Amino acid sequence: MDGAPLRTTQGSSVLEAALSFGICIPHLCHMKNLTDIGVCRLCIVEVVRGNRSSITTSCTLEAEEGMEILAHSDEILRLRKNVAELLVAEAPNSRAIQDIAARCGVKTVRYPFHNADCILCGRCVRVCSELWQAEALGFVGRGKERHVALPFNTRPEYCKKCWSCVDNCPMTIKPCEGSMDDGEEYFCGKCASQLSTTDKMPDSCVWCKLGEGFHCTRWN
Amino acid sequence: MPKVNSPTDLAQLQKRLKQEQKKYDATVTLCSGTGCQASGSVPVHTALCDELKKRGLSDKVLVRTTGCHGFCEHGPLMVIEPGNIFYCSLKTEHIPEIVSETVLKNRIVEQFLYEDPVSGEKIIRESDITFYHNQNRILLGMNRLVDPLNIEDYIAIGGYSALSKALTSMSPESIINEIKNARLRGRGGGGFPTAKKWETTRKAPGTMKYIICNADEGDPGAYMNRSVLEGNPHAVLEGMLIAAYAIGSEKGFIYVRTEYPLAVHHSVAAMKQAREYGFLGENILGSDFSFDLDVARGAGAFVAGESTALMAALEGQVSEPRPKDVHTAIKGYKDAPSNLNNVETLATVPLIINKGSDWFSSKGTTKSRGTKIFALTGQIKNTGLVEVEFGTPINTILQKIGGGAKNGKALKAVQIGGPSGGCIPASLFELPVDYETLADAGSMVGSGGMVVMDEGSCMVDVARYFLEFLIDESCGKCVPCRYGVPRMLEIVTDITNGRGTEEQLVLLEDLCDTVAITSLCALGKTAPNPVLTTLRYFRSEYETHVREHRCPAGVCRSLIHFVIDKYVCTGCGTCAKSCPQDAISGERKKLFHINEELCIKCGICRDECSFEAIHVQ
Repeated sequence: MDGAPLRTTQGSSVLEAALSFGICIPHLCHMKNLTDIGVCRLCIVEVVRGNRSSITTSCTLEAEEGMEILAHSDEILRLRKNVAELLVAEAPNSRAIQDIAARCGVKTVRYPFHNADCILCGRCVRVCSELWQAEALGFVGRGKERHVALPFNTRPEYCKKCWSCVDNCPMTIKPCEGSMDDGEEYFCGKCASQLSTTDKMPDSCVWCKLGEGFHCTRWN
Repeated sequence: MPKVNSPTDLAQLQKRLKQEQKKYDATVTLCSGTGCQASGSVPVHTALCDELKKRGLSDKVLVRTTGCHGFCEHGPLMVIEPGNIFYCSLKTEHIPEIVSETVLKNRIVEQFLYEDPVSGEKIIRESDITFYHNQNRILLGMNRLVDPLNIEDYIAIGGYSALSKALTSMSPESIINEIKNARLRGRGGGGFPTAKKWETTRKAPGTMKYIICNADEGDPGAYMNRSVLEGNPHAVLEGMLIAAYAIGSEKGFIYVRTEYPLAVHHSVAAMKQAREYGFLGENILGSDFSFDLDVARGAGAFVAGESTALMAALEGQVSEPRPKDVHTAIKGYKDAPSNLNNVETLATVPLIINKGSDWFSSKGTTKSRGTKIFALTGQIKNTGLVEVEFGTPINTILQKIGGGAKNGKALKAVQIGGPSGGCIPASLFELPVDYETLADAGSMVGSGGMVVMDEGSCMVDVARYFLEFLIDESCGKCVPCRYGVPRMLEIVTDITNGRGTEEQLVLLEDLCDTVAITSLCALGKTAPNPVLTTLRYFRSEYETHVREHRCPAGVCRSLIHFVIDKYVCTGCGTCAKSCPQDAISGERKKLFHINEELCIKCGICRDECSFEAIHVQ
């Protein structure tokens, strides 16, 4: 990956391999030990085959012998920054999302802010259905109508109020300067000042405060 | 219902059916495709049957209702044999004359013939009409010969003989080879080499393999697959059977969108008849090969046409795409090797097996062989389904087949490939239609939808329309499509409202590029195409909207005003009476005036004015 040889176990994803070596590939919907669905599109990497490369999410890509990966090429960094910009423009009211944007190099947000309560990352749904096997939460609706809901909007009795869904939700981590009201959203980016090494070494994990907030898997 | 237990049985049955057809004095074929039904072919059919019964002719004249003939603008259509006489735009009151003159006496009634708009000539035979003359209808042409609800019609024209040939004299590998030599490419939009997909599925590890027909056709304005499945479902079944034999599958599905009730009905009827005759089930035609299928209905989502989403729907899950790092040919439906092909691709297979790969690959261009069905719609005189060889110039399709512009306005662009495709401007109309040429131009062949636009279309508005469609149909799983496409719409809407800025144009291109590369599935990846092609070829229109706050085509409501020409207005007051907002006022015989603040730009005044005194500025 990025010129450095990595060794990992059979069946690991490229993302898991990178994280185990302390290589920072920003991610949001990936959670340790749960299935990867590749929906946030932050962990994208280039897979080089011959003189062609294709771009795919590293969390759904199974590591193969001899695979050549570029996780921090200029193209990938540009695309990752644009995806992160879309995320923070949608839900700036979360320190986790703000920090991801800062880590991905977002400097300004070129879209009018929305103030979404849910970023539809699916972490709550997967924790409930895969870790606890309760399936008390699920996605409902298509496209803009898509939202997370309880079955028929009623909490079923097999929901044991374990609060795992809330614990793993990036929206519960409030921005350090407080909640943003409608019309007062902004891109903070202050933590970017902590990332002094990331311009020179975008691939290394800097054990940033950002990861601590939203359970970046480097921290678990 | 004789069961066809061997190739000999089939040959004998075919011979017998052909003989039986000869005993009729005349055959009247009525198009009953969805288009003609909408134009009123059902009452015409009833009137015809009643008239024949009245005259005691029901045993002597064969009435056959078929699928779509393609000339949809001029339905209801009828073809009478002997003579191959073609009547169009029919009504129930025409029937008595048709029966007494043409059916009984073989005399032509000129009034019902098609009149060529250029020469003024009346054309007798279907094949002489310029619309059909310039086409190569190897697939759609069969529609006129079969009643889709009667398997015997299909057998009479040689149906299932390709299957017979495949099962008795070809091995699975040689079948794949034949398709490979024909260079058949997927007709659903991807253009992927069909033989390669079959080979991958055949070689994939696993005992249970599936063959699936994608009939979820969702592009607005596209109805090619519908007409093949409605009009000739057995051709699709035969194609599936041959494919199943080639890849080693015993089970298949036809996934039809529920918005095609006739196609669902005809697929199910065809499946049942095929079972009765022994073409589906155990030991088909006396061989070791067994195969059966189910017809599944879609539930109203465009995204369900995407291969992984379709298979998820078949599994009973929500039809959302999944990451395709492992191809569905290796791990698809229930994680088993699954071969998904489009309706048109499958219906072409029996033709290739029967007539040979050389016959097929001799048509078309080097990289795009064979023919393709296109749905020609929009501002064109002859809307309908056309089948042409690849390599046919766009202009030939628009002018010779399409008959040119409908309203006399200059043709501006043609959107090819549906919402994933792009607009080709008039300056490039000499381009030949094939996969590579269209892709280089920024568009794509796609499923075959061709929407023609004239000077009255605003290209920024066209981009906006397709973005709205895609936002509605996006599954919403991945960030770039769920958030990126609505942001594109935000910007394009700003532009149509005169609030666009130069920075937004730059941002739009960056955003389109990101969404195209990072989206999870092809819906998101191709969503920017309408925007990118309109930006590429009609950038000046975007710039006029941004810099001059003006819509050159006179479409974007916020940027246009209606004005009454003071030199033409006679003061008759018709416009004031017709205005739903009471926005027009004036004195009789004096210039009338439109109040801009009340005007909603509906255009009724312009349409009502007999002097053409009202214009859009």
